[in-house]
Amino acid sequence: MPRETPSPIDLPAEPVDAPGLGWTAGVMAIAVLFLLALNAVSLRDWAADLTPSPAQARLAEATESWLGFTEAVGVGKPRAWLHDQWKKAENAHFGATTPEDATIAP
Amino acid sequence: MLFPTLTFGLFFLLVFSVTWAARGSNEWRKILLLLASWVFYGAWDWRFVALLIVSAVLNWGAARLIELAESHGEGSRKAIMLMGIAANLAILGVFKYYDFFLEQLGAILAGVGFERDMPLMQIVLPVGVSFFTFQGMSYLIDVYKRRIHAERLLDITLLMSFFPHLVAGPIVRGSDLLPQFKRTPVLTRDMATMGIVLIVWGLFKKAVVASEISTGLVDPVFFDPASHSALDLLAAAYGYAVQIYCDFSAYSDMAIGIAALLGYRFPLNFDQPYRAASLQEFWRRWHISLSSWLRDYLYIDALGGNRNGFARQCVNLLATMLLGGLWHGAKWTFVIWGALHGGVLALERIWERRRPEGFPRLPKALGVIVTFHIVVLGWIFFRADSFGQATAYLGGLLGGGMPGAELVVTPLAVALIALGMSFHFAPRNLGQDIALRLRWLPAPALGALVAVTVMIVDAMRFEGVAPFIYYQF
Repeated sequence: MPRETPSPIDLPAEPVDAPGLGWTAGVMAIAVLFLLALNAVSLRDWAADLTPSPAQARLAEATESWLGFTEAVGVGKPRAWLHDQWKKAENAHFGATTPEDATIAP
Repeated sequence: MLFPTLTFGLFFLLVFSVTWAARGSNEWRKILLLLASWVFYGAWDWRFVALLIVSAVLNWGAARLIELAESHGEGSRKAIMLMGIAANLAILGVFKYYDFFLEQLGAILAGVGFERDMPLMQIVLPVGVSFFTFQGMSYLIDVYKRRIHAERLLDITLLMSFFPHLVAGPIVRGSDLLPQFKRTPVLTRDMATMGIVLIVWGLFKKAVVASEISTGLVDPVFFDPASHSALDLLAAAYGYAVQIYCDFSAYSDMAIGIAALLGYRFPLNFDQPYRAASLQEFWRRWHISLSSWLRDYLYIDALGGNRNGFARQCVNLLATMLLGGLWHGAKWTFVIWGALHGGVLALERIWERRRPEGFPRLPKALGVIVTFHIVVLGWIFFRADSFGQATAYLGGLLGGGMPGAELVVTPLAVALIALGMSFHFAPRNLGQDIALRLRWLPAPALGALVAVTVMIVDAMRFEGVAPFIYYQF
């Protein structure tokens, strides 16, 4: 490999002397499982956007049920809270009341 | 199929599993990667997979002929190389420039009294055509210059079709990737960790920073510059500078990361470009794979670089950047963008040569600020839909904008612009330093950390995913 083309992949240290493939597969599998629990809303949205078909309808129903379960046990709360905070930041304006404030104001 | 979508995530998990399961045979692994690349490209339009295959066969055949003509002398080799280049340019010309040049011809004919309807074809632009044709041309030139050998059809087809770089680069040269295809790759923990860091980092830059600035500020202001205040116009100009960096460098980061997880090493494509103290330095840091391509194959090989005197060198710089601008698209705004960059690059060379003895140099910090603002000026032309829109934008910016216009820029947009700029002044190897720490973590710990980070990014992302800016090129 010519060295005149640097790559961020070349870490500036001695390589770890341990197998990488199984470890990477483990990282990805755990990440997928955690995301299924923490971010079920994305899975539901993705299934809902697929081309309509009987299979899509079943998938959408299953992902909706799964989302309901994660919400019931509370693992979806951190994402929902963060999303709300982000939406508030999006709606904030310089020197003016936001549309939300206007509807709340007496 | 866009990188930051669940559809691509599932596609990649499947490709990762299948290709590593087939690591016992490098040939089968490459065939599987090739099929996966065609599925990826076919998700846009299946018809263009055929174009990709034709382009690969063309370059493979031309390179073979160049080597077979070794005994016939340099003239034959050069003629085959030039025919191969012409064929690549013909593909690019038909799909990307045919209508543009015909419209210009029509305007010229109308100007001299021969107005007539031109046979415009309204051709759909294949995604990534500029990237894979440039890759094909560099392969032919490298074989002609004896920098590399002509390789097998499978390897050339995979080089040009490999899905991580296919639609928006980096432009990975044959000399970088073909030697890697010769052996079964090994996934090291270092590659995997850095690949994961790059993918997550790219996801954040694209889905949060670039998308939010684009939809909340840049798109509405550029849509109708005349109806916005000067403050909005200024914020949107800076905002676009951050958006295009976070958008395009995010694609490159994710492409490099995805390739790394498949066992391949892609070159660096962005290196904190807005900390450049001159335009020459900017082009060593921005879209490095394109700028080095233009330097090596166009500026030096085709135009002669600095070999024919100083005046010719300046003309070559200008010509290179003009063509670089046209590479981005068949629009006059891109040509003006290229002319601005080429002109300033030439002026920098002239000033370097003519600078009076003892005349103080610009302090580095001032050089960074001046360079950044020249780049921002260029981005206004680059982003504008037409020359008229760009001049209206600049007119509003200099003339104070529309009085009493409601402010579009929000505190969040200002914070994201500041964040995007801060990336350029963070430690240069921050991503690698993070990877060096993460590589020691047990797989469950890193998996949980990745999931939490992706969840945070997903909670902040704008609804839907806009295509990457460079998909249109």
